[in-house]
Order: sequence, then C-alpha cells, then structure tokens
Amino acid sequence: MAHAVISCLHANHAALEAVLADIDQQGIDTITCLGDLVGYGPQPNEVVELIRQRAIPTCQGCWDEDIIEGLNACDCSYPSQLAERRGHLAHQWTADQLSEENKDFLANLPMSLRRDRLLFVHGSPNSQHEYLLPNMDAFAALERVETAEADTLFCGHTHHPYVRELRDGSIRVRVQEGVASGGPSEEREINLPVRRIINAGSVGEPRHGNTNATYVIHDEQTGTVEIREVAYDVERTCRAIVESGLPAIFAWRLRHGFEYAERADDASHVCER
Amino acid sequence: MARWALISGLRGDLEAYEAIQEDLRHTRRVDTLFVLGDVIGPARNCDALLSRLQQPRRGELRPQCLYGWWEDQLLAERGYRGGRRADALRLSQGETAVDALLQAVDPGHMGWLAELQFGFIELDCALLHGSSATVEDSLGPDSSPLLLLDRLTRMEVNRLFTARSGQQFSIELTGGGIESQVRDLEGQRHQQQSVPKRQVIGIGAGVHYTIYDPGTDRFDFLAAGSRSQERARGFA
Amino acid sequence: MSQTLLISGPPGCGKTSWILKRVQAHRGPCGYLRLAGYPDEGLAQAPDGGIDLAYLQDQCPRLLDLADLDQALAPRPEHLLALIELPQFQPPTESGLGGVDRRVIPQLEALHLKPDEHLHFGRDTALPRQDTLDFSSLQAWERNLAGSVWDPASLSSFWFELVNGAYGDVYRAKALMNLPDGRAFFCNWMVSQEGSQFLPLQALAPPDGRPERLSRLVVQGKGLDPAAIEVTLADCLLSQALPHSFPSA
Ligand SMILES: [Zn+2]
Ligand SMILES: [Zn+2]
Repeated sequence: MAHAVISCLHANHAALEAVLADIDQQGIDTITCLGDLVGYGPQPNEVVELIRQRAIPTCQGCWDEDIIEGLNACDCSYPSQLAERRGHLAHQWTADQLSEENKDFLANLPMSLRRDRLLFVHGSPNSQHEYLLPNMDAFAALERVETAEADTLFCGHTHHPYVRELRDGSIRVRVQEGVASGGPSEEREINLPVRRIINAGSVGEPRHGNTNATYVIHDEQTGTVEIREVAYDVERTCRAIVESGLPAIFAWRLRHGFEYAERADDASHVCER
Repeated sequence: MARWALISGLRGDLEAYEAIQEDLRHTRRVDTLFVLGDVIGPARNCDALLSRLQQPRRGELRPQCLYGWWEDQLLAERGYRGGRRADALRLSQGETAVDALLQAVDPGHMGWLAELQFGFIELDCALLHGSSATVEDSLGPDSSPLLLLDRLTRMEVNRLFTARSGQQFSIELTGGGIESQVRDLEGQRHQQQSVPKRQVIGIGAGVHYTIYDPGTDRFDFLAAGSRSQERARGFA
Repeated sequence: MSQTLLISGPPGCGKTSWILKRVQAHRGPCGYLRLAGYPDEGLAQAPDGGIDLAYLQDQCPRLLDLADLDQALAPRPEHLLALIELPQFQPPTESGLGGVDRRVIPQLEALHLKPDEHLHFGRDTALPRQDTLDFSSLQAWERNLAGSVWDPASLSSFWFELVNGAYGDVYRAKALMNLPDGRAFFCNWMVSQEGSQFLPLQALAPPDGRPERLSRLVVQGKGLDPAAIEVTLADCLLSQALPHSFPSA
C-alpha cells in the first residue's frame, strides 16, 4: 500500500492545498504529517484547521512544541543574530495569531507515531530539534533508527528531502572486563541490520534550491520511495505574508527558494538544555 | 607526562575516598584527580565527604568533580533543574529514597553541587558520568557497539571515560564499516565509512578506580588498598 | 616629474581599483582626491562619504589627501602622482582635457590641482574595458555606520539579500564595515561583475570596542527600500552589550 508523508508546512496554505491535491490525484488516502504546521508563514490557523479537518495523523514539530512551550530552540541553533531575531519575530507573531483551540491541538500532538516497523518523527527519535542530515555520520544515523526499534524512520525538520539506506554494517570490538589490568580480553564482531531513513522535505518552506513544495510517497509492498516536487501559487503566499504584516523580506526569500532564516551549520548539534 | 586518577560512585563514603587518596600518595606520577560524579547517595550522610572534596587536606590531590546521576536527582528535587524533579529516582526506588537523599546532604552544599559540570574534555578524551547523551546513560561491557560508537561520535573524541555502570571495563572498537546510499533531488551518492579506532573505558565505583596515562595510552583498573598487587605487576 | 591624472567613469566601473594599482606601482609619493560628481538628470550620484579614501589610505598609509587644504598650499613633493577620481555617468563630449566637466575646474584650482591628462572609463583604451550599464534614473541611499559593529554571520546574510535584490534593484553597493574582532572590511559589489569583493583593511581596532573610524554603506539602484534595509540593519548590528558573538561566526 502506498502512503504519503508530508512535513514542515510552516503555515503555507497554498502549498499545503497543492500537495494534498497532488496526493488525492494519485488515489492515496493514507497521509502522515511530521509536524511544523506553523512558523514563519502567514496562515497558521488555516493550515492547522485543514490538517484537523482531513484528520491527518500528525506528530509534533519543533515549531509546534515551541509555540506551546515558549521558545525552546536554543540560540545556538541560529547561525546569526539576524536569523535569531527573525525567528523570534515569527514566533511572537504566530503565537499571537493562533486560536486557543488550534494551540490546544498542537500541544496534544504526539512526539512520534508508529505503524509496525515504520516510525514517524519530526527531527529524530531523540528530539524534535535534532537534524538528521543526509551526510550525517552513518553509524550515528543507524543508531537513531536502531535504538528506536524501527526498520524505516521517517523524519522532516531539515527541509531537504532524501532517502538514505544504511547497509552491510559491522563493528568489531575488543572487550576487557574486571579488576585485573591486562587480563583476558574477548573479541566480538556484530553485524548491523539494514535500515532506512526517509526525509519528507518541506511543504511550506523549501530549502532544496527552488520554490516547489516537496513530500514523499512510500510503497510498503515494493519498498520504493518517490520524492515528489509540487509547484504551487507562491505569489499567493507572498501576498499573504505582506498583508499579514510579517516582514516583506520573508516574501522575498520564499519567492526565491531560500529558507526564511538560515539554520546553523552544525545542525546535528543538540543543545544540552 | 603525568597520569590521571579517575574515581566515581563514592556515595558519601569518606573512608573509601581517604583510602584512594592514600593509594595515590604512594603512586608515582599521578597529578590529576577526576571525580566523575555520584559523590552523594541516599545510604549515608554525605556532608563529611562533600566538605572534604571542597577543602582537601594537605598533601591530597585536589579533586576536579563532575555531577553524576545522584547529584542530578538531588539538584532536580531541590529545584535546580527548572520544572523537573527527582522523578527517575522516585519511579525506580520510591519516595523513601528521595527523602533519604534529601536527608543525606546538608542544603549548605547545594551551591557547590549546582556549580558542577556535566563533563570534561581533556586532550582527546571525554570524561563523563554517563555519556555524551545523558548523565543516566549506563554504558557497560554489554552495551551495543553501535550505541558506543554514537556516544563517541557525539563528542568527537577518541576515548570516553564513563562511570554510571560502576563497572571497570574497556571496549575498543577495532574494525568494521558501513555502506550508505543517499538519494535526493540532486541524484544518488554512495559512501563507505569505516569504524574509527576508539575506546570506551568504565572507571569503576567506590574503592574501584582507574589510573590513566595519556602519554602511553595505558590504563589500569585498581582497587584502593591493594597497592601490593600493583607493585607486583611492575606498575609503579 | 610630477603628474596629475583625472579619472572619470560611471559608478562601479573600477576607478578606485585602478587607482590603487597605480598608487602601488608608483615609486614616488602619491596623492588622491575624490570629487563628488554631479547628479545628471534623474541620476543620483552616490555620496561616497569617504569610503574610497579611507580604503586607499588603509592600503597605502603614506597616500596624501589632496582635499586637505594645508597639503594643497604646502610645496608639492617631487615626482608626485596626483590622482583625481570623478564619478561621471555620461562619456565626455570632447576627447582629452577638453572633455573635463567645466564644473570641477574651480574646485581643482582652489586645491592647486591642474590635470595633465583625463581618462574616462569606456572611452580611453588606457583604462580596462568594463561592461557599461545603462544608468537611467538611478537612486542612491547611504547610511553612516560609524561606531557600529556587525555580527559577521548576519553581515553575510544581509549582503547576500542586498545584492540579490531583496531591497530593490541594486546596481552598486559599497561599504566599510566593522567586525567584533577589530577587523574592518571593504565590501564592494557591482551588478556587472561576478561576486562581491570583501577586502580586509590593514588597520585593526581593539576587539570588542566601538571603533569610531569611518564606516558607511552606500547603495545605488532603482526602487530601493531604505526602510526595509534599516529593519535588517537593526537586526544585524551588535547591541551595546559587547562582546557578543555567535558560535558559527
Ligand atoms: Zn520545519
Ligand atoms: Zn523543525
């Protein structure tokens, strides 16, 4: 059965509509959402309501968490003062706009969703704020999937869609125990299982080089994964940004396919908060 | 190069600490003493040991301390960890253990405990109570090598000294690798990665401690009061 | 023998870079003067605010400031190479010295300067060829940044946005900017050239201070949005509470 996974809608209603239409057109009726319904974009209530109306199972994203809990993202996740100030401004604006009912909905989203050996999270199984980048250390990436007891891990948060397969892994160790130093040691080799990480990209805030929305379709029978790109009415969202009183620079950045505020270079970093 | 002594898990046992200090007085070339947490515990009053760590006697090595799992629980229960309380302790050992822990430490020591750090990085070694993930991470000889490799990678160090399990052990990563294939909108990339040569060392607890020589990368698992053993191996 | 050269050309054609090369190649003393230029119909001359002189003096500390009246009245050193820069959009109507804009002559006379030669970018082959742009109805905007210090990572984001059109159609952007480590950069971008120049000044200010040296941003283009630039500047400049730096800076 083919199912669609979407992530990082970021209050972009036109993009979400276009992606849902693309999914409907293919006759797919199982959709999972990996969070970040709001943040930066101009239509937080509309986007949350559309997800609620279509009853799409959703896990909580970093923005969804922060809007409820107060800013949780550490300063070190912003690469510059400019990015940080813009992030805070967007946070404040979104918090003011969201209805209590929609805030409640975001507050009660689960950290993860599980269907058999498929696990759905926003950032990583450890945190909504951890980035699993495509070039992350392969053992560390495998550890995330293994520790979470999944075969395939779906994540978002990086806004960069990809499919990563980790295979033919092994680790050899020499173990020495006990008080006596230089005592007997034991050699062991473990073979690591094949695991996959599938990043769904971003519907509402592209970071992959152009303005298209991205999401993925996974076929459980065949194991194939398709990364879909969907064009949408970017100008409609840009107009809404300006009309809503958000900074015009957000519209300019969206129109040119740049994320609203840059993310830190060392995105794998998790702050010890 | 001078050597390090690494201890942990004293849980208020001043006698064990004195026995280790006595040992170290007779061990050559040890100039640094690291205490990787759990200096407190609920089983006995810890004030004497805490005072001693803060005011070493003449001729004793001055300890460099981290907080451990027990300190973290106490700090949480006393409101030093935001909204978090000693929930892990409460869940595993019940309310009486929480009360006993509160009784075991005079509130006057809280300032000193609150200042303790999570870890030290010395040369290419990470010194931690648990692991780079959390203070409660219990690494032991049976831990998954994949998990160990992840914990080493997070700190970008070659050696990780840990204390949480209380065991003395060494696990060396000696070989292996993994294949990774990434497909995105730009295309497909292949990557072959080898296991880096790295090591996790459990330093022990209480009178069981570890001496490490960064110059030769040699370490020894010891127990305080058994110096004769050590001499027999030609260590000193 | 001394020589006095008048160099003119449209903004961003490379006058200052060419002058720097001449100064560095000249063995004897050199002097420099930058004239303001004249707004031709609808074309605002960007006030340079001393950026070029400050940059040249940083690169060549012994460069004489020919605008300094005391120096103008003092006897000129032998073998002086005097270089006069004049921003000018339109090519001169006559060749050679006859083409010098009449309006600059009284000013030059007051400073005891008399050009021996006039070179115009786009006209004279002695100068490098540049893509010349159509400068119809240019707007100019400038901002004094003295005493302000940039968060370095924010500066690179802002510059990227500025030269890529986030604040209007920018033809030319030029600036001297202070960084928290005491360095200053000469930032230079021109629509006809690929990439931006970021050249560090030789002179360092004490780190974590508020350097009072010249610091300025000058922008030329069409449909500029100064209010939006100001908003971004406010988010990029470090607050009073120095030192303050970001991990990836
Ligand atoms: Zn996102
Ligand atoms: Zn996110």
